[in-house]
Amino acid sequence: MKPWLYICSLLFISFALALVSQPCYGNFGKNLRWSIDGSARLNDNQALDNTSAIYALGIDTHKVFTHSTGDIGYGVGQVYFTKLANHIPVPFLFSSKDDSEFIIREAHLNYTAGPNWLPNVRVGHFTLPFGLEESIDTNGRLLDYYHGKNLGTKLDWGLSFNKVLRQIEYNFSYTLGGKDQAKSLAGSYALTGRIGSLSHLDFVLGLSFFDGKIDEVSRKRLAIDWQYYWGTWGILGELALGEDNKQHQGRQKEKYSLVELNKTSINEQLKLYSQFIIRARTDHASTDKLVNIGFSYQFNNQLELSMSGVKQINSPVSGQKQQLARVQIRVRY
Amino acid sequence: MTIHFRILILTLAMLLLLPGNVNAVAYCSLRDPVAQIAQLYPQKTNQLSIVKTVDDNIRAQVQIALPSNDLHFSELGRHTLYIAMKGQEVLGYVHVRSEQSDWGLVEIVWAIDKDLRIRDFVFQRCRSPKKKIAQHSNFKAIFIGKNYQELKQQLSADGITAKPSVLSHAQGAAELANVVLRCALKTLLLTEILWGDELEKL
Repeated sequence: MKPWLYICSLLFISFALALVSQPCYGNFGKNLRWSIDGSARLNDNQALDNTSAIYALGIDTHKVFTHSTGDIGYGVGQVYFTKLANHIPVPFLFSSKDDSEFIIREAHLNYTAGPNWLPNVRVGHFTLPFGLEESIDTNGRLLDYYHGKNLGTKLDWGLSFNKVLRQIEYNFSYTLGGKDQAKSLAGSYALTGRIGSLSHLDFVLGLSFFDGKIDEVSRKRLAIDWQYYWGTWGILGELALGEDNKQHQGRQKEKYSLVELNKTSINEQLKLYSQFIIRARTDHASTDKLVNIGFSYQFNNQLELSMSGVKQINSPVSGQKQQLARVQIRVRY
Repeated sequence: MTIHFRILILTLAMLLLLPGNVNAVAYCSLRDPVAQIAQLYPQKTNQLSIVKTVDDNIRAQVQIALPSNDLHFSELGRHTLYIAMKGQEVLGYVHVRSEQSDWGLVEIVWAIDKDLRIRDFVFQRCRSPKKKIAQHSNFKAIFIGKNYQELKQQLSADGITAKPSVLSHAQGAAELANVVLRCALKTLLLTEILWGDELEKL
């Protein structure tokens, strides 16, 4: 199918959703949120001397399922037509630097109607519950907490047990390790979990673990994450320690740490952040140290502009210093 | 630039020109105030969500009813009212609203009784240094038990601050009392305008 047909299909589905959201067309539209979500991202990778772009257009939906006396649960569905333009290295979901694909981001159901002492049960494709990402969603944003590099994937198919209690919240998942594919590949799997204090508080502390095999690399991680907010300032961090076991290279120790300082305007339109990231590996002669500075400006509920720049501050033994500048415009309707 | 990119950019531009009532954040980041509902209604066994749209028409109604006030852009879009239930019995309602302050957005989780009076409230987010004062029962007493009309009488002539007689009970947290009062008024008004018909059927 040609790309313009994909777009027409998306728009058709959107209008169909809009129609069913009217009361006279039945109950599916009840408690349904849906948006068309489009973005254009320009990347300037100086280390690779390459300029590239990623265009995405899709539907973001959220639906609360209820019966007469209470909620049963909710579902999230996000399908995006994504087009690369001269993007290297080629992301795993694509076959070439100019490829285009339909991509499922989040697609899951969370059953919440059990008794208070029983966990909710989530099934589908979801973000692995680990570290800062569990309480700060970076879906579709330039801001990132590097799940993919740290764990091997950001999202995976499987199930999770989760709950928010009076003092703590937890989320433990078993997923298949197939990343975008809802199956186990060559024995892949991922056990992930996080338990932490309530994520809406001014001080948040969390502990996470990960034990998985993805892309034939076995990974183990233990992590601590924390956030502290004072006025419009926030300081937060994540430290993950563990090991990777690759088939041909054997075991190697891994360390990843991130510290972020952020500042938000009082009307929340402008968000600034700076991150200091350290990645260390026993087989690396040097430790990668990176600085990432970025901002986002929300013009209104529909339009957001964001920019970020990453620069490696140490000199790697081999290869060039990482240096990447990105700008993104995102529109939601 | 290929035809595909042109179509994509054109589509984005078209979307930008159309008025919309969406949430700025991806829906996977939505979180129900589960812990706060449990705190406000400890006997609750389940909750019932009703999602409605706060659009420009509703925003205009708020501006007419409460001159000098506006809704923050994040307050537009689809929003949820939670009915706290104990089995089949309705205990009350829960409505979360944000109000801009000098310390960023203050997010308040309001417990409202079946007569649309403030029953209690807790902060989902408040980074004021005087937050502890606002959590005290003496401060909360300014608002608890009052309906929209009674709270509106507490507004001074400027429409955005409380009367001096009210602020004398704010224990030094006058600015926060103004924020909480504006938020309470908008919350009760929107509950009545948007969810009133549904609540009558319960």
